[in-house]
Amino acid sequence: MSATSSRQSILARIRAATAGPASLPYADLPRDYTHHGALPTDAVLHLLTDRLREYDAEVSECSPANLVATIADRLRASGRHKFVAPPDLPADWLVPGFDWAIDNNLTHDQIELCDGVLTAAFAAVADSGTIVLHHSATEGRRVLTLLPDWHLCILRSSQIVETLPEYFARCTQPPALATFISGPSATADIEMTRIKGVHGPRFLNVILVRDDLESVPHRNQAGSHDRL
Amino acid sequence: MTGPSASSSPARTPAPILNPVHALPFPQAALPILRNTQLRANVAHATDVIQAKRARLVQEKSDWQALRTAAAAIRDNVLQNLGDYLEQFETNCTAAGGIVHWAADADEARHIILDILRHENASEVIKIKTMTSAEIQLNPALQAAGIDPIETDLAELILQLGDDEPSHIVVPALHVNRFQVREIFARRMGLTNLADDPQALTAAARAHLRKKFLSVPTAISGANFLIAETGSVAIVESEGNGRMCLTLPRTLIALAGIEKVLPRYRDLEVMLQILARSATGERMNPYTSLWSGVVPNDGPQRFHVVLLDNGRSSILARPVERQTLRCIRCAACQNACPVYRQTGGHAYGSVYGGPIGAILTPQLMHLEHAQSLPFASSLCGACYEVCPVKINIPEVLIELRAQVTDLERRHTSRIFDPMYLGMRIANSLFANASRFRIAQRLGRITLRPFTRKDGWIHSLPSLGSRWTASRDLRGLPNQTFRDWWSARQKEKP
Repeated sequence: MSATSSRQSILARIRAATAGPASLPYADLPRDYTHHGALPTDAVLHLLTDRLREYDAEVSECSPANLVATIADRLRASGRHKFVAPPDLPADWLVPGFDWAIDNNLTHDQIELCDGVLTAAFAAVADSGTIVLHHSATEGRRVLTLLPDWHLCILRSSQIVETLPEYFARCTQPPALATFISGPSATADIEMTRIKGVHGPRFLNVILVRDDLESVPHRNQAGSHDRL
Repeated sequence: MTGPSASSSPARTPAPILNPVHALPFPQAALPILRNTQLRANVAHATDVIQAKRARLVQEKSDWQALRTAAAAIRDNVLQNLGDYLEQFETNCTAAGGIVHWAADADEARHIILDILRHENASEVIKIKTMTSAEIQLNPALQAAGIDPIETDLAELILQLGDDEPSHIVVPALHVNRFQVREIFARRMGLTNLADDPQALTAAARAHLRKKFLSVPTAISGANFLIAETGSVAIVESEGNGRMCLTLPRTLIALAGIEKVLPRYRDLEVMLQILARSATGERMNPYTSLWSGVVPNDGPQRFHVVLLDNGRSSILARPVERQTLRCIRCAACQNACPVYRQTGGHAYGSVYGGPIGAILTPQLMHLEHAQSLPFASSLCGACYEVCPVKINIPEVLIELRAQVTDLERRHTSRIFDPMYLGMRIANSLFANASRFRIAQRLGRITLRPFTRKDGWIHSLPSLGSRWTASRDLRGLPNQTFRDWWSARQKEKP
């Protein structure tokens, strides 16, 4: 095999092909698209909720004080019993009365046997209804949010941005791992008919925790009238 | 044209050949497809649906043109500095535990991949949809080496089980309808009671592949983007089969064209916004995965990237054609193309069909094959208008047409070719006003017997039939513009 020589010959051909005058430097590239959204927090949360529901995700909203009760409520409503969770979730999220497996290097087969998974997230983008995981110890290894058919994801309103560039602006250090989830697994490969749930989780549940309301007590709670 | 129907015996077309070396010229390959009304109805339906969704979501994006401008500028910056970015990617990917290979051509890429798989003692490999693997004809090479490639994208699975070939970059089985899918799955999965609704068919694919995901230890993917800054790879998908292949196996091989690199992580803020909208008419695709080399305890613990040149560096060297390499494979140009919408993808004789295929394939073949493709266009410009990275496809088509013509002209066998003979005669007639006037007069007299009452010529004898076989010709008017003008000048007081 001539691996080294191919590397050299490809790079030499590229250098020869691009020897001409330099174009715009990277720092000067035009970026006149929308960077920051203009919506107030309530409207951003509304937008995210709408987008997620368009994807058939179920969305509930609660105050930080009601989070554990809301988690319990969602777990009960799912009709499922065996759940898996990443190792560093707050202990009170693992509501009693259910069968919890904690992922300290569970095997794929052990995870496959779970009915659902509970995780936190790194961020969410309202404009496209996207949840971003960086797979920390509260968000779980990639396999955790892949094999179980039902995913309950907890998002704090302070993690929610309106536009995709706002998320990237928050990533001062690019992550080693990232998964962008915009609704449950789907295909339109057969006659462009959208079918939910091909290989990934078929059911996505999201709880929005209003951690913004406590710091801004005068804000009205218009966003919570249609909770599930 | 008929609507999608349950017709059980659609007109059979010959098995598609998606290898530009062996494929028929476009007009010959397209002819049987044009007679296949079922296939044309399927293609028309799918492209209509995607185009309508795309148009709606592009409309709502007030900064769409700014995103296109930024995307084109980022891609141009990548191409101008490609050597630096690739080396940066290699350094960072290697530091993160990945192994980077360089393949000058398809043959070398196949050898690298086969060597890795042999080293892994692989007898099966699960695959994410990758156009690049089809470009290098990887599956036949794997099979010849006794390794079973298992396509896991629903559309690719339909095609693999149906012994068919992809006809679209994003929705590769759009030419197959639900009744045909049911027939294929029932036969190949032994499911006699399978229903023909997409829900049931999708569930059958899920069950069929689940065991493979959990048991096959090696996977092959393409790459939507390589990030130079971090050495990471990004895969954009919908079904989750990608995440399965990227997460569960022990060993992962990603095959990527050298042009796929982006400078920084944050450049995805542009690319992800334009890609899903252009490709499937969604605000965002359901899943995008990004990983850097090997992450301890999470995903494959052996990771290889194969960087493929295969003709790309020579495209880079040409000023007009270089923009071809901006492409992010969204297929918006296919959906918009009036030619593609009639023929589907198979007529292009390559996995890259439609306008982007018409410019990319001949260039990857160094114009030794696929010379007919630059002519498979009406130059209407719809492809350019929808392209999210602003590739001026008509401009490249015209440049390639000129090159093909120059190549053909030099062939001695072409000296007496009626077309080139005609062109030389026309050249001489157009060069001189009086010769041109005589030719007009002669033409009017010669064509008069063939001109019908409606002013159109529907059929010509001999060489002229080459034109009228597929289109009508406007008869020459009784008065030329010059005659009319001089008559008008005389009438003036």
